[in-house]
Amino acid sequence: MKPATLSYDALLASVEKLPDDGLAVTRRAALDHLHKHGLPTTRHEDWKYTDLTKIVDIGNQFLDGQWDQPTSQATGDLVNSIRDSIEADWLVMSNGIIDQESIAGLGQTGISVTRLSEADGEMEFSTPLSDLNAALLYDGLRIHVAADAALTRPIGILLVDDATTSPGMSQTRIEIELAASSTASFIEYHASSGSADHYANSVSNLKLGDNSHADYVRIQERDRSHNQTNRLTVGLGRDSRFNHCAFDFGGRLVRNDLTVDIAHPGATAAFDGLYLAGGQQHIDNHTRADHRVGPGISHQEYRGIMTGHARGVWNGKAIVHDGADGTDAEQANHNLLLSDKAEIDAKPELEIYADDVKCSHGTTVGQLDETALFYLRTRGLNEHEAKQILTRAFAQAIVSKSPIDSIHEMLTTKIAERLSGLMQGVEA
Amino acid sequence: MLEINDLKASIGGTEILRGLSLNVSAGEVHAIMGPNGSGKSTLAQVIAGHADYEVSSGTVTYMGENLLDLEPEERAREGIFLGFQYPVEIPGVNNAYLLKAAVNARRKHEGLAEIDAFEFLKLAKEKMALLDMDPKLLNRGVNEGFSGGEKKRNEILQMAMLEPKLAILDETDSGLDIDALRAVAKGVNALRSADRAIVLVTHYQRLLDYVEPDHVHVLSQGRIARSGDKSLALQLEEKGYDWVREAANG
Ligand SMILES: Nc1ncnc2c1ncn2[C@@H]1O[C@H](COP(=O)(O)OP(=O)(O)OP(=O)(O)O)[C@@H](O)[C@H]1O
Ligand SMILES: [Mg+2]
Repeated sequence: MKPATLSYDALLASVEKLPDDGLAVTRRAALDHLHKHGLPTTRHEDWKYTDLTKIVDIGNQFLDGQWDQPTSQATGDLVNSIRDSIEADWLVMSNGIIDQESIAGLGQTGISVTRLSEADGEMEFSTPLSDLNAALLYDGLRIHVAADAALTRPIGILLVDDATTSPGMSQTRIEIELAASSTASFIEYHASSGSADHYANSVSNLKLGDNSHADYVRIQERDRSHNQTNRLTVGLGRDSRFNHCAFDFGGRLVRNDLTVDIAHPGATAAFDGLYLAGGQQHIDNHTRADHRVGPGISHQEYRGIMTGHARGVWNGKAIVHDGADGTDAEQANHNLLLSDKAEIDAKPELEIYADDVKCSHGTTVGQLDETALFYLRTRGLNEHEAKQILTRAFAQAIVSKSPIDSIHEMLTTKIAERLSGLMQGVEA
Repeated sequence: MLEINDLKASIGGTEILRGLSLNVSAGEVHAIMGPNGSGKSTLAQVIAGHADYEVSSGTVTYMGENLLDLEPEERAREGIFLGFQYPVEIPGVNNAYLLKAAVNARRKHEGLAEIDAFEFLKLAKEKMALLDMDPKLLNRGVNEGFSGGEKKRNEILQMAMLEPKLAILDETDSGLDIDALRAVAKGVNALRSADRAIVLVTHYQRLLDYVEPDHVHVLSQGRIARSGDKSLALQLEEKGYDWVREAANG
């Protein structure tokens, strides 16, 4: 069977319809690159469990249809409710279109935000999905945090999509740079509404200058019929620190790629994640840490709770390159399967080419601890309550590790709600 | 209060309780002794409602009701408390949270409003002081990383907060230092009253020095092999279990 592909003619026509701005040349180059290499299929090792056919299908329908989808009232409501629930300076993109007012309204000193199209848009496109992103990108954001600046409020990046009438597809791109010795925190929030098919493709690049510190939380709460692919690429400067936590609650087909590159000594990267899935949800997290020099630290822990027919995929790769002595790499992935139809494919991968390293990995897949359940019940809690308590505790371990303390309570509430929904059995 | 009649129970196809009968009335303290593997914990777990044990025959009546029909949580809400021989560690579940949830589950069942947060904390601190427990344990995960003695005290704290009608303490005295043993005994004695009953599963006389039992039973091979008053425990201490076995067989 020939793998489904996006129609080149339709892609080209779409690229030509985009504004003749600073991004025009890059879009064409990205399109050529995509055309040459194509999209990955399940025959690619990295895509073994995640089939893009459905996404390609949505893409083709979208390219054939009309480009400018009006955003509905629902989008506005979604934006407002998220903005109201989290203290942050929000930058908003709806269906891939930047809300200019949100840029203008940014109040903090030490940060500048521009559109990618304003500058000579230098964009990286090294993977098929970042090719697609660059080719069809309407516009993106460049965020620069000045040297020595210490931002006091988190920068919120709100990516909302709305597919009310016809299949939708959106591309968003954020380029973030922290100059030396600066500190900033980011909340990347994905949400969507509407009953038509949707595919969102987001790409973020984060460069940490020497001695800088970034806290980064990604929350994905898309409609459970919508799809997303997401890539975050992080480059760490000397003695810099990157603390990341990803929460996936929504989406139908979800694929997240996180790539961390340690090319300067003294860098620390901690990246954790939680995925909760039920029904037909498919959530795939691929991470990769390249240790090119030592000393350097990369620690990650992902946890998943799956029920119904949900499928989780976790693939964590750490590569300790020749000479990266003093590397400390740790990977953990723990899963709870609450139904016998739920599935997880967990795979840690360590490739070590240096001598003096400290590496470990561990994965577990299990059900709720029967002894603990019984213990709770002998204290008067009914079976449902006891299960809720144990699953919440399992998830809470990730919240506790997450940076940006001010959103912990909100996350705890969200997790309790989501788990309660998953465990009512309504999403079997 | 509790009447067990000719109870037979098995786990994984192995029969452990083989026709056990026992009557416990309100106001009484019973001690159950017996060799390792004789079925003491099995009895405790069956009374608490553990689903892995299969009851093949016999009856268990609690306050006039068929206990075996009730879910574990219903038994708890009706006033049965089991202090586990091996208290379970539940990482990530706050100790105070569980304590409060347990108290409220019981109160709800009795038609009472939820306990006031301030009232709860005051009560918990009081009980902890009585048990000589570090108040910090309240904010740790349930039994998470607790020492052996801390776990046992935590069981007694739960019991003290829940004020059960029937408390079954499965070797709560094992592994305790002298001070902890006194603290646990204090907790048990504080609960003693005309409308409550306490069953102590123990291997040692030393707990019974502090909590004087009305009846002592020896469990052997899934049956009560011998019953008596507190002097039976002293005789056992002196002569060992072989004496009971010989007496039972001879
Ligand atoms: N899952 C099981 N399958 C088979 N036998 C079991 C199982 N669980 C327990 N047993 C057996 O049941 C018997 C009684 O165990 P129980 O824990 O009730 O003894 P006990 O009297 O409490 O002993 P101890 O004094 O050591 O605490 C033991 O021989 C034990 O090995
Ligand atoms: Mg025992």
